[in-house]
Amino acid sequence: MSFWFTVFRQVGRNLRQTWGSQLMTLLTVTLSVLIFAFFYLVYTNMLKWGDRLGDDLSLIVYLEEEPGPELQQQYIKKITTFDEVEKITFISRADAYQRFGKQLGQNQDVLDDLPGDFLPPSIEVIPLKSLRNLNQVKFFSAYLAKLPGVLKVQYGHEWIEKFYYFTKLLSIVMLLSGTLLIMTTIFMVAYTIRLTILNRQAELELLKLVGATNNYIRVPFLLEGLLQGILGSTLGIASLYLLFQWIKLHFSGPGFLNMFQFSFFPPVISITIIGVSILLCTLGSFSTMQKFLRI
Amino acid sequence: MNTNPTQSSEIMIEMIKASKVYSKDVKALNDISISIANGEMFFIIGMSGAGKTTLLKLISSMEQPTTGLIEIGGAPIHQLKGYKLARLRQKIGVAYQDFKLLTDRTAAENVAISMEVSYKKPQMIRKRVKDLLAQLDLTDKHNKITGDLSRGEQQRVTLARAIANSPTMILVDEPTGNLDAATTEKVMKLLMKCNKAGATVVIATHDDTIFRHTSHRIMELQKGSILSVSRGNGT
Ligand SMILES: Nc1ncnc2c1ncn2[C@@H]1O[C@H](COP(=O)(O)OP(=O)(O)OP(=O)(O)O)[C@@H](O)[C@H]1O
Ligand SMILES: [Mg+2]
Repeated sequence: MSFWFTVFRQVGRNLRQTWGSQLMTLLTVTLSVLIFAFFYLVYTNMLKWGDRLGDDLSLIVYLEEEPGPELQQQYIKKITTFDEVEKITFISRADAYQRFGKQLGQNQDVLDDLPGDFLPPSIEVIPLKSLRNLNQVKFFSAYLAKLPGVLKVQYGHEWIEKFYYFTKLLSIVMLLSGTLLIMTTIFMVAYTIRLTILNRQAELELLKLVGATNNYIRVPFLLEGLLQGILGSTLGIASLYLLFQWIKLHFSGPGFLNMFQFSFFPPVISITIIGVSILLCTLGSFSTMQKFLRI
Repeated sequence: MNTNPTQSSEIMIEMIKASKVYSKDVKALNDISISIANGEMFFIIGMSGAGKTTLLKLISSMEQPTTGLIEIGGAPIHQLKGYKLARLRQKIGVAYQDFKLLTDRTAAENVAISMEVSYKKPQMIRKRVKDLLAQLDLTDKHNKITGDLSRGEQQRVTLARAIANSPTMILVDEPTGNLDAATTEKVMKLLMKCNKAGATVVIATHDDTIFRHTSHRIMELQKGSILSVSRGNGT
């Protein structure tokens, strides 16, 4: 009881004495949590979106000639020796013509002048879910392109690749902002606590002389870091949530954001981010104490 | 009466050939051997620079002896570390010659510190602080910043802090240097009271008015060595 009373009064004293830099630290922690969480949120949403894109990922293998039943079996064997696939469909010239017509819809009449076999035959390969990594798809497509009688292989749209690189970029940005988060929390917290320690050097010396235990001196500083962590990260996540709600409110309805179907972190992730930030802040205060308290 | 108290009761402070060398040419203490009994009142006198403060610093483990052994209540103090050292220091009240007050805090806060570190109850601390300040004529300074007090007032606040936690051992360095006769009397009365209550009290001073009439032992230091240990005649 008295222990915590004394500890909390000490913490209050520290906060009052250096409230300026305390506030700066809090702001920095909040901002870096916000920045990191923002990129992380965008990244996870992109990944989810990428998953859905991948759902209808298929490779179209264009062939020189219409394959007979024998050749079809050979192709199937060759394709499945690379990897199991979900589905293989052979599309004859006539099928392709029909499909194209369907895609044109009302403008179907432009086809009237063209011969019914101007489109090449093809094989539609839908890879297994596990092969949805773009690199693997690339390998697969290269493999398919080398099969005899294959004109070329097309998969999805070019922007799948662009999208892929975009998520790559995002993951780098996310890593950078994560590093920023770690550095700022540890260093800023360490810095303010160092300031407090230097500010109260005389008092800390005296405390040791009158028999203050290490815990008596340490716990308030640890608590200070802990408090910075709790407040900073909670504020960061909370402001991201508000921002998220605001965007949802103002950009909802039919539009491109609906296509993305943005969703917020599940509570576990929010709590994990907060927890890690708290840990980092406490670590910051702990490391400074080890360096400057000499007890 | 037994003239050798070290045989009659438990020993509180045991120093055996303790020396302190600050630097090559500054030998502050030289082979000091002395036993001070539990509950004894003991005076250390000597000229300025004789080593009185240094001796008290060794006893309170603010400084380590260069050579020799120092035991407090049977425990070698220079080997104690961490929690054990802290606990021991809670039992030793020191009034430093240079006060070591936190000059931006009130008198009451300064006195309270020594009790806070052993987690005494807040209301109990408040009562004890009030009580002590009253005994030292400082009631009106209770909420004054110690930096604004006179030296004599600061000295008394220092003393109050030293005895606030009811330590078993009280070390006072020049407790009456800045005080008039009447206040000196009050300070000595308070120290006597602590001693009667069982505390071992060691006083370093060159104010002969406070040891002239004592019947306690007096050790005189000269240039870091013991010149004499004698019992006051109590007249
Ligand atoms: N931290 C230190 N570093 C170097 N020398 C010191 C230190 N402290 C004390 N001394 C020297 O040790 C000697 C004894 O000093 P000490 O303070 O113990 O004397 P004292 O008897 O308390 O004197 P006073 O009556 O003036 O307080 C002096 O010569 C002093 O200069
Ligand atoms: Mg001295």
